Amino acid sequence: MNRPRLFSLVLAAAGLLLALLILLPIIALLLAGSPGTLLPLMLRSEVQQALWITLLSSLLALPPIFLLGLPAAYGLSRINGKLRRILETLLELPMVMPPIVAGLALLLAFGRRGLVGGLLADIGLRIPFSLLAVVIAILFVVTPYFVRRCTLLFDGVNPKLEDAALLLGASPFQAFMRISLPLVRRGLAAEAIMAIAQGIGLFGTIILFAGNLPGHTQTLSLAIYTAFESDPQQAFSLGALLLLISLLLLTAVKWIAPQEAVQ
Amino acid sequence: MSGLECRVQYPLAQYELVVDLSVKPGVTVLLGPNGAGKSSLLRLLAGLSKPRAGRIKLGHRLLFDAHKKIDLPPEQRRIGMVFQDLALFPHLSVRQNTAFGLSLRRVAKAKINLHVDAMLDKLGISQLAERSVTTLSGGERQKVALARTLITDPELLLLDEPTAALDPAARGAIRRWLHAILGELQIPTLLVTHDAEEVAWFRKRVAVIEKGQIVQRGSYHQLLREPQSDFVARFAGINLINGELREQGNEKTFISSGGSQLQGIFDGVLPGPATLAVAPWEVALFTVPPGGSPQNVIPGRVIERIVLGDRVRVTLLAAEKLVAEISLNAWLQMGEFGEGTELYAVFKTREARVMNT
Repeated sequence: MNRPRLFSLVLAAAGLLLALLILLPIIALLLAGSPGTLLPLMLRSEVQQALWITLLSSLLALPPIFLLGLPAAYGLSRINGKLRRILETLLELPMVMPPIVAGLALLLAFGRRGLVGGLLADIGLRIPFSLLAVVIAILFVVTPYFVRRCTLLFDGVNPKLEDAALLLGASPFQAFMRISLPLVRRGLAAEAIMAIAQGIGLFGTIILFAGNLPGHTQTLSLAIYTAFESDPQQAFSLGALLLLISLLLLTAVKWIAPQEAVQ
Repeated sequence: MSGLECRVQYPLAQYELVVDLSVKPGVTVLLGPNGAGKSSLLRLLAGLSKPRAGRIKLGHRLLFDAHKKIDLPPEQRRIGMVFQDLALFPHLSVRQNTAFGLSLRRVAKAKINLHVDAMLDKLGISQLAERSVTTLSGGERQKVALARTLITDPELLLLDEPTAALDPAARGAIRRWLHAILGELQIPTLLVTHDAEEVAWFRKRVAVIEKGQIVQRGSYHQLLREPQSDFVARFAGINLINGELREQGNEKTFISSGGSQLQGIFDGVLPGPATLAVAPWEVALFTVPPGGSPQNVIPGRVIERIVLGDRVRVTLLAAEKLVAEISLNAWLQMGEFGEGTELYAVFKTREARVMNT
């Protein structure tokens, strides 16, 4: 209880400064995007298109994120030691990659002259500069984070519960479906929203790999970038809109996420 | 015929688990100190870990055979296990927990409900059916865990320290209940514990495990009479006196570290450091030294006297500490002596077992 008074003051001051650093720009942006400017903006077709592409690409990315990420996360949480550390490092690779570089890498892999681009072209698939490219960019950037957080969720499930299920006659798959999965369901719902929020904010990777084509690959983030060059006021309003969407998603995550760790 | 035969080897951190054990219908208690390998053995039997070598046979079914490369997964072994922390499914109700095993087996819903009702009724917990398992008391949770396991008709039942997680007040009641239920079932059951009181309830067949090996097997009574290790002697409350065995010509004598010269059963004991074991109920107390047949006599002063029903437990401080247990009548006849009284503790030579340490 007898903490040095000066030290407490330093802690409080640092906290206050940090809070200002976070809140000031947010408030400034919200002030710039008043309801009066937001409403007419929402009626413009190119804004509606960008909004639609933003939401569509994030939603389309969600099933593959779950399909690839969930088994990976569960598998990862069930192994230990060196192999786990190696696989986790592999997951961290896209996390530390600058988004622009990730876009370049994706182009070199899936682009027309990329590693598998020719192969894909042979079966009639041209990925770059399409909605599919936006989805792949989201998948590439977001899935590692998703796997990482879901691994922690599964780590929180007592392994004895699965052992008990096995001994009652459940196959490992049944034990997963009926015990582990239901136990983390709230956490998974929160992670899904988190993944959507992350996808919505993506910029660098998308602009390089998918381009900035209004009506095709231009998401809200890209639309803001375009608007900023010609009409900053519109960029501010769009920014406020994007911020509102993010705040909404954050609220949803906080509401859904389990209050206490899974037993 | 339908028992468990197992012979397994499995490396543990400190030593190797090497166990040769058979479990017949009814309860066999596996007693051992913490870290003796009890829980590891249960996991091997259940198929949750894989033995390095050996064979596990349940009835006529081979569950594991290192040579024949047979290793049935846990879900095919038909072994029921109640974990120490019970591992009830927290997101399911008592009914759903109990129904879990049957619901995996394409049994009709109505039939499952009938089975569950019958099982809950049998174990006396029908009133809990719709409760969430997270709201139950320790004893109730124990009963649900057993119901959930028994409903799958296991051919072998493994109980890992079934009363360890309970508070002392609930422990006695659950032990009595467990004893009644298990006595009725006659399923081969291996009950793991480090608690002597639990052994007293299931006293017919006891196996003692220490440092990964079964060191003694027999009834509780045999164990108490002839403890073959420190651990067994200690849990039974048996007096252990440290000292050494000396040999002069053909005469062997046990000299305690307190200096008492004692006689005991010296068969196969080598001269050198040794321990003498004598059960409290073999120690008689006298106010004057008795003469007659060869006996060990140790004078001492009473430092503690506890009346336990019709028995009186007396701790005597002599050259060494010695616990005697005499009948209430004997104590009354000796004038209800109290602490501070000078007495003579006497035990027969043939009741004192000596082992090398």
